[in-house]
Amino acid sequence: MQQPLVQLVAAATQEASAVSTRAEMEAFKARVVGPNGSLTQVMKGMATLSKEDRPVVGKLINEAKKAVEELLAALQAKIEESEIAGALGAPIDSTLPSPDAPAGSLHPLSRTREKILSTLRKLGFTVAEGPEVETEWHCFDALNTPADHPARDMQDTLYLPKSFRSADAPRKGEEAILLRTHTSSVQVRTMLSRKPPFRIVAPGRCFRRDAVDATHSANFHQVEGLWIDRNVTLADLRGVLDFFVKETFGPEAEIRLRPSFFPFTEPSFEMDLRSPNLGRLSNRWLEIMGCGLVDPKVLELCGLDPNEWSGLAFGLGLERIAMLVHGIDDIRLFYNNDTRFLRQFA
Amino acid sequence: MKVSLQALARHVELAGVTPERLADILPMLGLEVESIQSFGLSPLPLVVVGEIVSFEKHPKADRLSVCKVDVGDGTPRQIVCGAKNFKAGDRVPVALPGTLMPGGFEIKISKLREVDSMGMMCSAEELGLGKGEDGLLILTPRKPALGTPLNQLYGAPDTVLDISVTPNRGDCLGLRGVARDIAAALSLQLKPLSIKTAAGLASVPSAQDGFKFVRSSSEFCPYYTLRTLRNIKVGPSPEWMRRDLEAAGLRPINNVVDITNWVLLELGQPLHAFDAKQVRVGIEARPAREGEEIVLLDGKKVKLETGICVIADAERPLVVAGVMGGAESGVTSATTDILLESAWFRPGEIRRVARRLGVSTDSSHRFARDVDPAGVELASRLATDLLIEHAGAQVVGPAVAVGQAPRADATIELPAGYVAAKLGTVIAESDITAAFTRLGFTVKPSAHGLLVVVPSFRSDVTRPIDLVEEFVRIYGTDKVPVGRPVAPLPGEEDALSSVFTREVSTRLAGAGFTECCHYSLRDAAELERTLGADKAPALALDNPLTAEQTHLRASLLPGLAGALALNLSVHADPQGLFEVGTVFRPQADGTVREFIAVAFAALAEPVTRSWKSREAFDGLRAKRLLQDVAALAGVSAVRLSFGPATSGLWQTNHAAALADRGRTAEGACGILDLRWTRLIGIKGSVVAGEVIFPRSAFAETRKIPRYEAFSSFPPVTKDVAVIVPVGIAASEVESRVRQGASKAAGKEFVLESVNCFDVFNGVGLPEGCRSLAFEIRWRHAARTLTDEETNQALGVVIASLEKGAGWTVRR
Repeated sequence: MQQPLVQLVAAATQEASAVSTRAEMEAFKARVVGPNGSLTQVMKGMATLSKEDRPVVGKLINEAKKAVEELLAALQAKIEESEIAGALGAPIDSTLPSPDAPAGSLHPLSRTREKILSTLRKLGFTVAEGPEVETEWHCFDALNTPADHPARDMQDTLYLPKSFRSADAPRKGEEAILLRTHTSSVQVRTMLSRKPPFRIVAPGRCFRRDAVDATHSANFHQVEGLWIDRNVTLADLRGVLDFFVKETFGPEAEIRLRPSFFPFTEPSFEMDLRSPNLGRLSNRWLEIMGCGLVDPKVLELCGLDPNEWSGLAFGLGLERIAMLVHGIDDIRLFYNNDTRFLRQFA
Repeated sequence: MKVSLQALARHVELAGVTPERLADILPMLGLEVESIQSFGLSPLPLVVVGEIVSFEKHPKADRLSVCKVDVGDGTPRQIVCGAKNFKAGDRVPVALPGTLMPGGFEIKISKLREVDSMGMMCSAEELGLGKGEDGLLILTPRKPALGTPLNQLYGAPDTVLDISVTPNRGDCLGLRGVARDIAAALSLQLKPLSIKTAAGLASVPSAQDGFKFVRSSSEFCPYYTLRTLRNIKVGPSPEWMRRDLEAAGLRPINNVVDITNWVLLELGQPLHAFDAKQVRVGIEARPAREGEEIVLLDGKKVKLETGICVIADAERPLVVAGVMGGAESGVTSATTDILLESAWFRPGEIRRVARRLGVSTDSSHRFARDVDPAGVELASRLATDLLIEHAGAQVVGPAVAVGQAPRADATIELPAGYVAAKLGTVIAESDITAAFTRLGFTVKPSAHGLLVVVPSFRSDVTRPIDLVEEFVRIYGTDKVPVGRPVAPLPGEEDALSSVFTREVSTRLAGAGFTECCHYSLRDAAELERTLGADKAPALALDNPLTAEQTHLRASLLPGLAGALALNLSVHADPQGLFEVGTVFRPQADGTVREFIAVAFAALAEPVTRSWKSREAFDGLRAKRLLQDVAALAGVSAVRLSFGPATSGLWQTNHAAALADRGRTAEGACGILDLRWTRLIGIKGSVVAGEVIFPRSAFAETRKIPRYEAFSSFPPVTKDVAVIVPVGIAASEVESRVRQGASKAAGKEFVLESVNCFDVFNGVGLPEGCRSLAFEIRWRHAARTLTDEETNQALGVVIASLEKGAGWTVRR
């Protein structure tokens, strides 16, 4: 009995080596372990054996069966392997470059803006927005800068013609319509529309009638903060600015408040920054932003009682901060959109 | 404001205070120092006075002279010189060999075109004395001795600080004001002003006065004084005064004009001198009458705006009050008698008139910043002293005044604890009193705090909060404590428009696009392309600065197309570009509305070659991106419909305009007008998209989605292919399929989706037709649908589709 079984396994092994498709495998399987398969026939012959022979032959058959099953499993694996290889094609060369374009990138001004906003969000300032075309009242008068105030000389303004009517900033009476010179107009709109206390930050595009050069641009971006509450103090202002500067320029950055003048704050300051990490601008005082306590007259003009409410405000130029942070020396690079510049901030 | 430290030292003792220290102190007082410059002759021991004994033409150079110059050492030396403005016998500065000139180069014995030269004769500019006349500095009129070191002829060098004065600090437009702040900062005493001319004003002119009346009928001139000075000898002003004026950047003219300018620099009060002979009868500050004209000092003839304040005689306007004098009544070399004006004009009106006339004078600049009414008489008296001393003037009597000082010292009640409350820290009252006293304010205790009297020279300090600023300036901002952060307020969120801007930018950057940022102001041609020639003028500015920036932008696409072109021209692969920003569009109701725009653009053909090709960016991918962008703004795809784009930016038949049933979003996508993109230098086609949203689209908070249960049973799908005339839009066919499939489902089960999976235009179809195939998917909430049900439903769909004229369903 042993001899036929060994021959059977040997024949099956021989036959299996020629199998290369799933159909051939199924046919081969039927020939060996199918209802009329060679191994099945042998197993059927078990019934005719004597009691004494059965354990011996049974053991032999089990061994043969095991061998055949292993054969079939190997065959199954081999066929699957070749099917998958067929479906996938040639192996890859993982060292070839991806033909797809890389992810794009945000503009350095957007990145700087988001960084500043996220810093200020930690201090509870949330974003407010307003129109770029503004009324003269929102941009100047409400900010304690009436017509013929010399502070209007501080900035040259772009105006729209008398016939221009803005859907977003309707004019009252004969006032002029202009391109906002700062985002402080958003502060005015917020004070008029919301009840204090609040802390807002207004990022946005501003315009001045300036000739374009390495440090001037016909439009630029500001981020302005306003905090209205009871008993807002200069200590609060220093706290906010100190936090902002350390988050933006690192823990070694220092600030100083230099007295200055803005019609909408009293007292008013220029905030200077000094940091050891600014390349050739390191370790010297740099003017970064204007700030101060909201002038009581502005609160009054915006419908808030200056005896009850007080506030602080600050405003900075996004371009200036981005230039300092990234060591950019020409403001026009932000607006040229040469991707060799833009991609450096990916 | 240019501040000479030598001049400043007349008002405050600066011994031991270096210019560097001042440049540190002033900014912390609010007076920004823009530059520090040296002024005058720096120490040059080897520059001496020499006399040009004789000279002849250089043998080899037409433009050079060979001079014999005697510097008093016995032998005249030979010096080659290029100047032409001298004659034999002139005395000039001579830099002897070894001199290191202010410009940094050393004078050596040398040869010039083969002729020996033993030094250099100098011009004013070469000596660092500013831009004088061309050629050598001629010293002849001063009659200096030969060999005298030039430094003996000139005073010690000075330092000039250029200070930027903020609009609130008109008081610092005079040296005395700056000195006052320095004195306060350093706890120094201000030196007293000594004026000989007696105080006191008359109300009517005397018989000796050079005018019969002086009056004001203009609301803009509440206070006016005029004084007669006779027998004046007009001539050059003294050396020290000329020096002071030059240090301040003014040009000396003659003693009378120089004295008025010098007093202006000293006290910040502008003065005006009339030639008394040109003034007919009297002087009146009055509103300009209709049609009046005047020739100004600068020679320009201007028509006066009716109502502005002019200073006139009995017949005609002589001066635009506070702004600029007239040519006819000014002081000339022939003047003998003058009328000296010192006055106070309304600041806002002076600013308005000066801007109207397009001039800014030293005078208008100061009047616009509210001069000290108490300084009006003082300045007149100081000028009188100087006119007597340096122009031989005789005074006929006191100045005649009309009106009165419009404001006096301000008394401010400063509540106890107010300063400390604003600073957010504890402040001793003695610190407060000390700071105000140093500033020249008077402090007295009152029932509720302090009474602070602020002199009239500080027009900007009128309220308790202004006193806080004054206190901080002197106390030091570095002593303000750093407050601790305060917890955020609950329920505060960013404006939705800003959330959208952030999300959409991140989304597009993730999709491979690089963010750009273009100017908002564009040229007329661009706007005409975007909006058409009829609508473009609605976005024009009133006062553009340049011809390239005359209009508000109506679209971000021209900027992006320009950026693609720029990057191609510099051989940088632009890949995809995008921008998010504000655009402006004229509306049907005549207004202009702001929109938040999102645009992207990319080349249809990739620039960079690759070993493996990728499907190009096309209009369909642009459409998907546009829908995704709209969805981020809360505009779902079902609200959107697409039709042909018609704007000048888009290529006919290859771009789609987007419409929103919710009337919020507008937009388009596809290929940009090829003639245009080729014109700006892009060879292939540009695929782009732009969608705009009004600000109102972000007014409401987005709804929080609520979960809806879905069926656990399998769907059934059926295909239907419709042959329709090519003129029928796919969206129309799809919508008909959708209607039919929805109707067929009725209330029993639901239509889940209709998906176009094949478009066929080829052989076998009737002429002028195409076939569109859709997969319809139905599902039941509670069971598996039967074949019978779905076949019946398909029958309903087919029947409804075949009602369309020329529509057939393929079977």
